[in-house]
Amino acid sequence: MSVKAFELVPAVERDLLMGDKARINIECIECCGKHLYMGTNDCFIHHFLLDEVTSSKGKLTYSAQKLLHKYLGLKKPVAELRAASALERLIVLCDGIVFLVDMVTLETVPSAAGGGAKIRGVTAFCVNENPVNGDPFCVEMGVISSKKRTVQIYMVYEDRVQLVKEVTTPEQPCAVSVDGYFLCLALATQYMILNYNTGASQDLFPYNSEDRRPIVKRIGREEFLLAAPGGLGMFANAEGVSQRAPVNWSESVIGAAVSFPYVVALDESFITIHSMLDQQLKQTLSFRDGHILQDFEGKVILASTKAVYVLVPLPLERQIQDLLASHRVEEALILTEGAQQNIPKDKFQILHKRILQQAGFIQFGQLQFLEAKEHFRKGQLDVRELISLYPLLLPASSSFTRCHPPLHEFADLNHLAQGDQEKVLRFKKFLISYLGEVRSTEVANGCREDVDTALLKLYAEQDHDSLLDLLASDNACLLADSVPWLEKYHKYFALGLLYHYNSQDSAALQLWIRVVDADLQDSTRSGLYEYIVDFLCSCSNPDLVWKYADWALAKDPTIGVHIFTKRPVSKDVTELNPEDAITYLGKHSQALLLFLEHLVLERKIKKEKFHTHLAVLYLERVLSLLSEAPADEERLTRARERLQALLRESNLYRAQFLLGKMENCEQLLLERATLHGKLEENDKALHILVHKLKDFSSAEAFCVWASSCRDSAYQQQLFHLLLEVYLDRNLPGKSQAAAGGGELEMAAVDLLNRHGEVFDAVRVLRMLPEGWSLQLLRPFLGRAVRASMHAGRTAQIAVGLAQSENLQLLHDRLKDRKKPIFVSEKKGCHLCHNTFSEPDVVCLPGGAPVHTHCVAQRVRDSPTKRQLTNSSNHT
Amino acid sequence: MPEVSKMKKPDVKLVLLGDMNVGKTSLLHRYTERKFKDTVSTVGGAFFLKQWGPYNISIWDTAGREQFHGLGSMYCRGAAAVILTYDVSNWQSLAELEERFLSLTDTANQDCIYALVGNKADLTDPRAQLSQDSDEASKDRMDCGEERTETQVLSACPTPPASPASLSGITLGKQVTPEDAMALYGRILRYKGLEEKSSLPAEKMCFETSAKTGYNVDNLFEALFDLVLPSILRNKNENQQSPTVDLEECRGAKRGRPGCC
Repeated sequence: MSVKAFELVPAVERDLLMGDKARINIECIECCGKHLYMGTNDCFIHHFLLDEVTSSKGKLTYSAQKLLHKYLGLKKPVAELRAASALERLIVLCDGIVFLVDMVTLETVPSAAGGGAKIRGVTAFCVNENPVNGDPFCVEMGVISSKKRTVQIYMVYEDRVQLVKEVTTPEQPCAVSVDGYFLCLALATQYMILNYNTGASQDLFPYNSEDRRPIVKRIGREEFLLAAPGGLGMFANAEGVSQRAPVNWSESVIGAAVSFPYVVALDESFITIHSMLDQQLKQTLSFRDGHILQDFEGKVILASTKAVYVLVPLPLERQIQDLLASHRVEEALILTEGAQQNIPKDKFQILHKRILQQAGFIQFGQLQFLEAKEHFRKGQLDVRELISLYPLLLPASSSFTRCHPPLHEFADLNHLAQGDQEKVLRFKKFLISYLGEVRSTEVANGCREDVDTALLKLYAEQDHDSLLDLLASDNACLLADSVPWLEKYHKYFALGLLYHYNSQDSAALQLWIRVVDADLQDSTRSGLYEYIVDFLCSCSNPDLVWKYADWALAKDPTIGVHIFTKRPVSKDVTELNPEDAITYLGKHSQALLLFLEHLVLERKIKKEKFHTHLAVLYLERVLSLLSEAPADEERLTRARERLQALLRESNLYRAQFLLGKMENCEQLLLERATLHGKLEENDKALHILVHKLKDFSSAEAFCVWASSCRDSAYQQQLFHLLLEVYLDRNLPGKSQAAAGGGELEMAAVDLLNRHGEVFDAVRVLRMLPEGWSLQLLRPFLGRAVRASMHAGRTAQIAVGLAQSENLQLLHDRLKDRKKPIFVSEKKGCHLCHNTFSEPDVVCLPGGAPVHTHCVAQRVRDSPTKRQLTNSSNHT
Repeated sequence: MPEVSKMKKPDVKLVLLGDMNVGKTSLLHRYTERKFKDTVSTVGGAFFLKQWGPYNISIWDTAGREQFHGLGSMYCRGAAAVILTYDVSNWQSLAELEERFLSLTDTANQDCIYALVGNKADLTDPRAQLSQDSDEASKDRMDCGEERTETQVLSACPTPPASPASLSGITLGKQVTPEDAMALYGRILRYKGLEEKSSLPAEKMCFETSAKTGYNVDNLFEALFDLVLPSILRNKNENQQSPTVDLEECRGAKRGRPGCC
């Protein structure tokens, strides 16, 4: 589980520092830009200039040049060094004293007149990298004083230090780090956060400082890294909350630093590197006699007792590529995403996409298609990268070239599958599903032809059902590339669809016709013939219809005629002229008949020509059936029924013309009767029906039919006519009278009894022979009497109702005109001007109330005014 | 749009607490990865960021080992829900919750909710033996043996807990009934100084689960997510008002105080 994230590069070799003096050890280091300072156990400060040298191979080395060394004169080891570059000062802790040294000369800075430049009794100090004071020429410092349980805050200036705050702690602190107002302290038994401004404190967790050296390391804004029991590196923010999971160090960690996204830690013999992103140990470097590990402005520097090294991070991209090279996709992605904040946004997006795509290809190669697809999608992969892996799928005209450097190591599918056909199939299935998903998304923008053509090829090759869906819907398949492919896989029906989509209907039809005619083999679509008919039916190009309808009609006229009969009526499809169609269909008699039936019976076109033509065709058919030697009764009946129906229903054909055609045909009497009826020659029609056919029920039906759209008088007349024909004794030969007369009379009786309501009973009674019995006509007479009675009573009721309605209206009118009349003792009579004393009054026209006796008086006085009689009284 | 889920700031925090070897990591693993696999004893702690609708929920898996006990209260700081986990076949694991772990929750939010979860229900309850993801069933059966060996390996680890908890874990009898858990829940409420009537009822907050078969695991997490939703909304509200922490600013807290539930 290792990754190469860092390289250990020597910076200052042992002999440069101390030559052969064996007892000199490095105690502390500080690095500020190119300047490296070192404090030793013999109270010297050494100053080096550290230059980065990149070799021609890209390997980084350091060359150190010694500038100066200086003895501080305290005979004690230099415990800490911190640079304050803005002040050009080094802050030095030696022998419990903090003092300032010039960064260039290493001379101790003398105290200024106003205040001291020394702090005594110090066990440890730290510099605030997130200072609260805005002054750039001032450094804030947290100091642990050997005085019990105190942390002091100092401001460090060029030539003096100034105590600004002193806070007490519950226990003796032994390590400190500061960020803003927050002190992070290692106390004897626990860690805590202390706000030196407000005094608010927050316990973190218990820890025994006697067991292990505590580590309190500020790693960012208000966040600290702490050594926790059990060899943990714990993260804690200023609120005392851990926002990252801990990393698992060894128990003996000496120093730690963060070089994002890694936590670097040093113990007695190793440097361990954990990722902050997944807490995993990523790299271990052997490092003996490790002593110091610190980061300076992002640079991690280590020191053994004798020499200094720089831990150089490998470029992030290289780390990621290394991970990808060992197929550690998840880690590579975590590392990439974790580095987001350290890389400019646009650069990150490019990197991230590329890594996602590479990750996708790795998973693709491992047949982890679900994951691969997700990464391709997120990485916005140019689908053609994927398609190009499959030989021959990209159209010849495609301008695509694979991205460089390549996203994967595969030459093509064959290389990838190593001849395993089952694998090849799985790869192809994946591509089918992937392309199917992306073809309608923005991923396919700019390469829709390539995507759709590739998909078409795959569908054809894999015999996939969606081939037809693809071609039937909006697509961008390239014709030139697809034709040979579809032909290769015998997908002629599909090819036809593609031709159609590319507006080459003629080519499509030719192809399909060849399939139907079995010149070509393609079983994709059963009922292709019907499909062609449908196609022609909705074909907008009349020339094509005329060209190929012949073939269709020859194949099957009943279905072929659908081309003409089922043409949808819409704006897109040009209307075919029916007359042209009839002319065209001349040689296909059956189709012509069907087409005329369609025009006349279904579309109900009111054109004499069509109706007559159809009637003539029907008639010819009947005649030809009649002329056959052994007549096929069943077919004949059907043919006649059709003819009869048309003759009855239509009013447009030329009856006279047809009548002429069947004048001398004695077998078509019923038809002739109908035609006579159409010509309103009812007597002739009835004559044929009654006397020639002796078909009384048809005669009756004729009457009903012929009068169906007429008023009742006409109907009555027709029925009377029939009755007369029945009762006419003169017309038929006397020889028949004996036998036929009785028959006709019975028919007359039946007619009367059945349709009694139509007849004028009085007229009928006059017509009937005297000798007929009452019993015979009983139903008719009974009904006639009842009808008459009914009519009379209905009329009476109507009169009564009308009267009552009249009365009602009269009442309403009165009510409407007369308002209530108020009479009171205060009102005066209009005639005598006296008040009323009794409720009885009379109203004058206009509603004025007057005394009854006044009216009487007045009537007596003027005898002409007597219209007051219908005035009503009101109380 | 690059996915930055790893760096997203969580909206709310859930913490799993409980004695070692009760199955905290397995529970979380079952919920997040839908499978049951060998886990090693958690070192320190780990956390998982769950995208739940529009919200990010961080679930902290803590180490049960006594060695890491001191870190517990840090993990619980600011938690909206604490899942106190025990092993139904181990009475001591329930007792430990009260003795050792309850005090760690002092740092949790004022309105933090507490759930009591008895894991390993598959050992005692036939219902829990039915695997909830049928496709995992056969695999789980195979893992069965390994899981038990893991138990023994762990109980033989160089830093054994003071209690004989892990040893009794091998006996498969049910030692903790739901009634015991509910009684403990009542005591937790009293410890927190909460009214039983105004708090969430014990029946609702005591679960029995099996990380091995997946029994009740989704129920547990989903139920808790629903219950912490008010906390999420309040946090979001506060974050919108002031994206950075401002110690002088106390208006946010006042405004965001939810109706007690």
